[in-house]
Amino acid sequence: MTRVLRFAVLVAGLGLGVFSMAVARGGAGYSFGGSSAFAGAAELVAGYALLAVGFTAWMRPRQARLGAILVAASFAWFLLEWSNPAAGSVVFTTGLVLYAAAPPLVAHAMLAYPDGRVGWWLGRLGLALGYAGSVLVLGLLAAAVFDPASEGCAQCPRNLLLVVGGGSAYGSVSRVGVYLGLSWSLLVILVAAGGLARSTPARRRQAAPVVVAGCAYLGLVAADFARSLHRGFLGDDGLDRQLWLGEAAALCVLSLAVVWAWVRARRTRSALARLVIELAESPPPGGLRDVLAGVLRDPSLVLAYPLAGGRLADARCGAVELTGEITPIVRGGQQVALLSHRPGLFAEPALAEEVAATARLALDNERLQAEARSQLEDLRASRGRIVQSGDAARRRLVRDLHDGAQQRLVTLSLALRLARTRLGRDLDPALAERIDQAEAELRAALADLRELAQGIFPVILAEEGLSAAVEALAEAVPVPLEITTLPDERLGSSVEVAAYFVVSEAVRRGAASTLKVSAARRNGRLVVEVEGDSAPREITDLEDRVGALDGCVAIVNGPDGRAKLRAEIPCES
Amino acid sequence: MRVVIADDEVLLRDGLDRLLTEAGFDVVGKAGTPQELRREVELARPDVAIIDIKMPPTHTDEGLVAAEEIRASHPDVGVLVLSHYLESHYAMRLLEQHPGGAGYLLKERVSGVGVLADALARVHEGECVVDPTIVSRLLRRARPASPLGQLTEREREVLALMAEGRSNKGICERLFLGPKTVEGHVRNIFAKLGVGESADDHRRVLAVLSYLRSTPQQA
Repeated sequence: MTRVLRFAVLVAGLGLGVFSMAVARGGAGYSFGGSSAFAGAAELVAGYALLAVGFTAWMRPRQARLGAILVAASFAWFLLEWSNPAAGSVVFTTGLVLYAAAPPLVAHAMLAYPDGRVGWWLGRLGLALGYAGSVLVLGLLAAAVFDPASEGCAQCPRNLLLVVGGGSAYGSVSRVGVYLGLSWSLLVILVAAGGLARSTPARRRQAAPVVVAGCAYLGLVAADFARSLHRGFLGDDGLDRQLWLGEAAALCVLSLAVVWAWVRARRTRSALARLVIELAESPPPGGLRDVLAGVLRDPSLVLAYPLAGGRLADARCGAVELTGEITPIVRGGQQVALLSHRPGLFAEPALAEEVAATARLALDNERLQAEARSQLEDLRASRGRIVQSGDAARRRLVRDLHDGAQQRLVTLSLALRLARTRLGRDLDPALAERIDQAEAELRAALADLRELAQGIFPVILAEEGLSAAVEALAEAVPVPLEITTLPDERLGSSVEVAAYFVVSEAVRRGAASTLKVSAARRNGRLVVEVEGDSAPREITDLEDRVGALDGCVAIVNGPDGRAKLRAEIPCES
Repeated sequence: MRVVIADDEVLLRDGLDRLLTEAGFDVVGKAGTPQELRREVELARPDVAIIDIKMPPTHTDEGLVAAEEIRASHPDVGVLVLSHYLESHYAMRLLEQHPGGAGYLLKERVSGVGVLADALARVHEGECVVDPTIVSRLLRRARPASPLGQLTEREREVLALMAEGRSNKGICERLFLGPKTVEGHVRNIFAKLGVGESADDHRRVLAVLSYLRSTPQQA
């Protein structure tokens, strides 16, 4: 509906209040609000409060439906006065039909709070019974059989809707309406309470004030229906009037509850405004959490990004565990982040969405960073696995060489020796020489094989550790090695292999001068240094090898013209 | 001499058995695992146990561990470890624990009856034996300027024989020198290297090997 129409409805509502008050005053004895100034004020305050709150909600895109229902409820609240015998026949007849329309409308507004929809079918059933009981049975049907004359209302104006009068028809219809009224009002109270219990904590906190006020109102309505059971119609005696005053108070509270939710939302929205300003300063990676914690005033706030494989991580890709109340930040149907926070922080569900919208760039930025870091870590892990599986394959190969070829060659040389001894002392010298030659060949083959195996993977490295392997290396290479420090303890096998690789390759590529070798643990890292007259030119393969363990290799040129190849490899104790 | 052979390779074990038997040794037991070896040593009480360094279950250094255990539990039983590894590290591991009555030979020595018989005899006599190939590799190793360069050719020969675990008497026999001459060489060597001379032959082997294995710091 257009704005103009809505304003027209507002003006009509205001006028309706004034007019109804006039009607009430005209027949004070039959009215609720006309009996005293206090009752009149209560009637106007409750009706106008509903009208104002309803109109405001109506103007809000998200709550237009709720607003329309509340406005209708305010109209119905005033229409109670129209069934006054002192009024004209049109007003009186309208009043006859609609005097009981307010309770189902208020119940509707309560169940539909805050988004205007009634989700639970039981609630819809209760409301359908409510509308049927109040407007159809107590309203239209009763009006059709209400003959003022035969019901003893001599001063009543003409009932324009009267179809048949007389008899007990009106009494029966009215009684059915009262019974129906008691049933549906109790049912709606139960549905509202049940709905509150079933909803999420955030939603419950948001809806509770409105629902409590609405249930108080419906409770008073139900009480009135209950005490009307024996007389068969809704009356206006002293107790009825007191119940009605209570209803007016409950409606005021209900209106305040709706306003309170707006105030709270406004406060969070001003927090969002601050968020916009804070984010304009582009927080550093991981800084978004601090900004959100500050703006939303929740130091316990944790921001986590869901990564591939179902892992949760912060912006620096650290593992995160979420506890307590968790609100997902969803965009385009996809969870971009999860927030754990103090209970009730996101009482208004829209707030999370608005945070997501405001912090969109920062959120995306941090999430992508977390993803990139995670991928980097996966990559590093896979690089490490590739290196490890290569090492494992080489170790297997060396083992096979030792256990297979080498063992056989030794057995063969033994067999040759046995054969030779069998042939006896007086052996043909030429044959003896040939056997000797074969034995020499075998020895050479064994030596070659040993060297080959050593080159593929030094067994001593795996079995005895880095220190023994570097010392053994010093025995075998043509370059003099001056070993200063070596770790006493065993390190992780991949660390040892990488460190050995650095030393052995530096030795292989180094100049023929003396090389100073050291390896020592410092602050959780194994620092390997090979110092010589010149450093190897190409160290890409060393970088690959050490980088797979998250370490680094560098060449440091000393002031004395000596160059140092330095590798740092993380090693946990 | 009573000998036990421990090697998980049946062909090699049997071949060694025949070779040693023909050379006049008394092979009193054969074993394929460290457990069998311990039992054979317990039952047969051999003079020397020949042990392959690679034994089940992991085929790494079980033989070395078994040899060390036998030296500790049966001091009268000598151990001769056969190994594929040229690195002096393993030999040092064996000798450091029990320098006397222990030997470390390369596996291919099994076909050279002379070397094997000599090593067995020396181990049986309580000497220690280090494979000449390992010693010559240590002597040849690249090193910065060191006192080793000041040794004469003869002194280097004497040093190598000391490192192989030979006593002065053994060195005399090998080099056809008189005892006095050898003692003089030994004194000179220790003086030049700056190593304190040790009266005990076993300590002397360890001192010499440690010296050869270490890398003297450059001045």
